Amino acid sequence: MDTYLQITTVVGVYVAGVVFVAGMGWRIYQWATTPKSPVRLGMFPKPKTRGGRIIKMLKDTLIAPHSARIEPRMWLFAMMFHVAALAAFVGHLRLIQEYPILPELLGAEGMNAFAGWAGGIAGTLMMVAVLYWIARRTFGPFKQLSVPEDYLLLALLLGVIIMGNHMRFIGHVHAADYREWFQSLLAFKPVIPDSIRFSNVGWSLGTHMLFVNALLIYFPFSKLVHTIGSFSANLVRSE
Amino acid sequence: MDSQQITTLTGVLDKKMNRQLKQYLDICARCAICKDACHQYVATGDFTYLPARRAELIRQIYKKYFTKTGEFVPALYEARDPDENLLDELYESTYACTGCRRCMYYCPFSIDTAWILSVAKAILIAAGRGNEMLGQLADAAIFKSDNFDMFRDVIVSGFKDIEAELKELTGDPSAEIPVDKKGADILYVALAGAHSILPAAAIFHEAGTSWTLSMFESANYGFFFGDAEKARKIADRFMDEAVRLGVKEVVITECGHAYRVANIFHEAWTGKKHPFKVRHILEVIDEYIKDGRLKVSRCIDVPVSYHDPCQVGRNGGIFEQPRDIVRALATDFRDMTPNREQQWCCGGGGGIVAISEMDAFRLKSGKKKVEQIRATGAKIVASPCENCRLQMEGLNETEDLGVRIAAIMDLVIECMDLPGRKQAAEGA
Ligand code: HEM
Ligand code: SF4
Ligand code: SF4
Repeated sequence: MDTYLQITTVVGVYVAGVVFVAGMGWRIYQWATTPKSPVRLGMFPKPKTRGGRIIKMLKDTLIAPHSARIEPRMWLFAMMFHVAALAAFVGHLRLIQEYPILPELLGAEGMNAFAGWAGGIAGTLMMVAVLYWIARRTFGPFKQLSVPEDYLLLALLLGVIIMGNHMRFIGHVHAADYREWFQSLLAFKPVIPDSIRFSNVGWSLGTHMLFVNALLIYFPFSKLVHTIGSFSANLVRSE
Repeated sequence: MDSQQITTLTGVLDKKMNRQLKQYLDICARCAICKDACHQYVATGDFTYLPARRAELIRQIYKKYFTKTGEFVPALYEARDPDENLLDELYESTYACTGCRRCMYYCPFSIDTAWILSVAKAILIAAGRGNEMLGQLADAAIFKSDNFDMFRDVIVSGFKDIEAELKELTGDPSAEIPVDKKGADILYVALAGAHSILPAAAIFHEAGTSWTLSMFESANYGFFFGDAEKARKIADRFMDEAVRLGVKEVVITECGHAYRVANIFHEAWTGKKHPFKVRHILEVIDEYIKDGRLKVSRCIDVPVSYHDPCQVGRNGGIFEQPRDIVRALATDFRDMTPNREQQWCCGGGGGIVAISEMDAFRLKSGKKKVEQIRATGAKIVASPCENCRLQMEGLNETEDLGVRIAAIMDLVIECMDLPGRKQAAEGA
C-alpha cells in the first residue's frame, strides 16, 4: 500500500507534471514555428474587425453554436462534460489554497457540504457524459471512425472520474487533509498524511492519481491538445 | 509499396505542411459532428464519405511519419503507410469531395477538411493517381496560353459571332464585344461558350460600361485537379492580361470556384497583391440595378428560388446581391431552408461533374438539394455556378422536379427591355 501510494501520489505526480508541461510546451512550439498557409482559409460571413473576429472565435470555441444546431444531443453531452470538467478543475484548486470568502460565508462544515454537492454533481455529469460518448462511439453507425486512442482516452477519463467519485461519495476525508498532501508535493517535501493513508480511501486516491497521471502523460500526444488548438483553429475560420 | 515511394509521398506531405494543416491533423476529436453536414455522407451513409474519415487517411500517414508516438505505437492511431489500399480509398473520397466546406461550418474546431484533401490530391498526384480527366483539362488550358498564337484567330472569330448576336439582341448595330482594349475599366472573364458572354455583353452595353473581354476562360481545372502550380498558371492567363491592359477591375463570370480562385487564392499563390479589384459579375449587376444604370422590370411571376453555390456563398461571401437581383426580377422569391452560409451543397462542385465514373453517385448525393427544392414549390431555381446548374439539371431530370434551372444573368436579360430578345419560355 505504501509503495503504491508512493508511486502514484508522489513520484507519478512529479513525472506526470513534467511530461505534461514539457509536452504541451513542445506542442505549442511546434505549432508556432510551422509557417502559416499563405492562403486564407476563412469562411463567410466573417467579422470585419480583429476584435469581432476574436469575439466570434471565443463564441465558436466556448459555445460551439454550429455544432449545437446540427447535433443537439451530442452538443448537450459535450457541454455537460466540458462545463463539469471546468467546475471540477476549479474545485481542485482548493488543493492549493482554500478559497478566501466562501468558508467564512458557509462555515467550515458548510463549505465541505457545498463542495460535496458541487463536486458530486460535476463528477456525476462527467461520468454520464463519458458513458454517453463511449456508447455513441461503440454503437453509432460511424463506429469505424474511432481508433484505439479514442477508447484509451475515454477509459482513462472514466477511471479518473469513477475513482474521484468514489473518494467523494464513499470517503470521509476532507479537503484539508488532501491539501496537506498536495502542498507537501508543491514544497518538494512530500508526505502522505496518516488521515489519508489509514482511511478507507487511501487506495482510491492512489488509483485516482494513477489514472490522472496516465491521462496527463498522454495528454500532449493525443487529440486532447484541442484544449489549446481549438482556439487558433476557430480563429482561422474568420481570417 | 517500396520505401522509395513512401519517401516520395511523405515528402509531399512534408512540403505541404503548414500551421493550419498541422493543427487540423493534431486536434480532430473524431467526434463525427461533421457527418451530418456532408451531403454525400447523408445521402449514402457510406463511411468513405464521412468528412473526418476522409481526413483520417492523411492523419494516419501523418501520425506514422511525423509524430514520435505514432511511429512507436502506430496501433494507437491506426497509423499506417500510404499503401495501395489507403490510396484507393483516398482517391475515392478526395475526388468525390466537392470542397463545399459545409463540414467546416459545423465542426466545433472549424476543421477545414477540404483543405486537408487539397494535400491529399497532391499526394495522389505524386503517386500517379491524380484524376486523369481533370489533369488533361488543366493541361489543355495551360497549353492554350503557352501556344496562344495558334488559338488566337479562332477565339477572336468566335467572339465576332457572338458580337453579331449581341447586335441583334440589343438592336444596336454599334454594340460590340471589345477585346484587348487597353485602359478599359473592367476585364470580364467568362467561360468558354456564348452563354456566359452574350448576356454579360448585353448588360455591359445597356449600362454603358467600359469593358473588355478576356481571351481566356475563368474555369480552373488545375484547382479541381489539385495542382496549385497548374492552377496558378491557369489563373495567371487572365491576371497577366488584366495587368497588361491596365484595367481597374477583373470581373469573374457567374462561376463559383473561378471567383474564389481569383479573389482568394491567386494572391496567396503568387505572393503579390493585385493592382486591381476582383469582383463577381453579380456584385456588378446588383450595383447597376440599384444605381439605376440597368433597367429591369419585375417580369417573372412564377415562384423563384435561389441556390447559393458553396464557392460563391459560404466560401466567397456573396449572399445578398444575387437575392436582391432575383427580387428585382420576380414577384415571388422563396429562399430554401437552410440557406446562405448553411446552404446544402447541390453535389456538383469540386470538378466532380467532369468525372464520369462518379455520375451515378453524384446524382444520388443531391438528395438534400432535391428535398429543399421540392419544399420551396419554386418553378425556377436560379443559381450562378455552372457546375451547380449542371448538377441541378441532372436532378431535375432524374427526380422529375419540373423546375427550370436558370443562370441569374439569363433571368436579368429576360427582364430587360431588349428589342431583339427571343421570347424565352415563361416559367417551367
Ligand atoms: C474550449 C473549447 C473546447 C471544445 C470546443 C471542445 C470540444 C470537444 C469535443 C467536440 C469533443 C469530442 C467528444 C467525443 O469524443 O466524441 C471533446 C472531447 C474531449 N475534450 Fe474537449 N473541447 C474543448 C476544451 C477542452 C478542455 C479545456 C479540456 C480539458 C479537460 C477538454 C477535454 C476533453 C476530453 C477529455 C474529451 C474526451 C475525449 C474523448 O472523447 O476521447 N476539452 N471536446
Ligand atoms: S466535427 Fe471536426 S473534430 Fe469532429 S470529427 Fe469532424 S472534423 Fe473532427
Ligand atoms: S467539403 Fe463538403 S463534400 Fe467535402 S467532406 Fe466536407 S461536407 Fe463533404
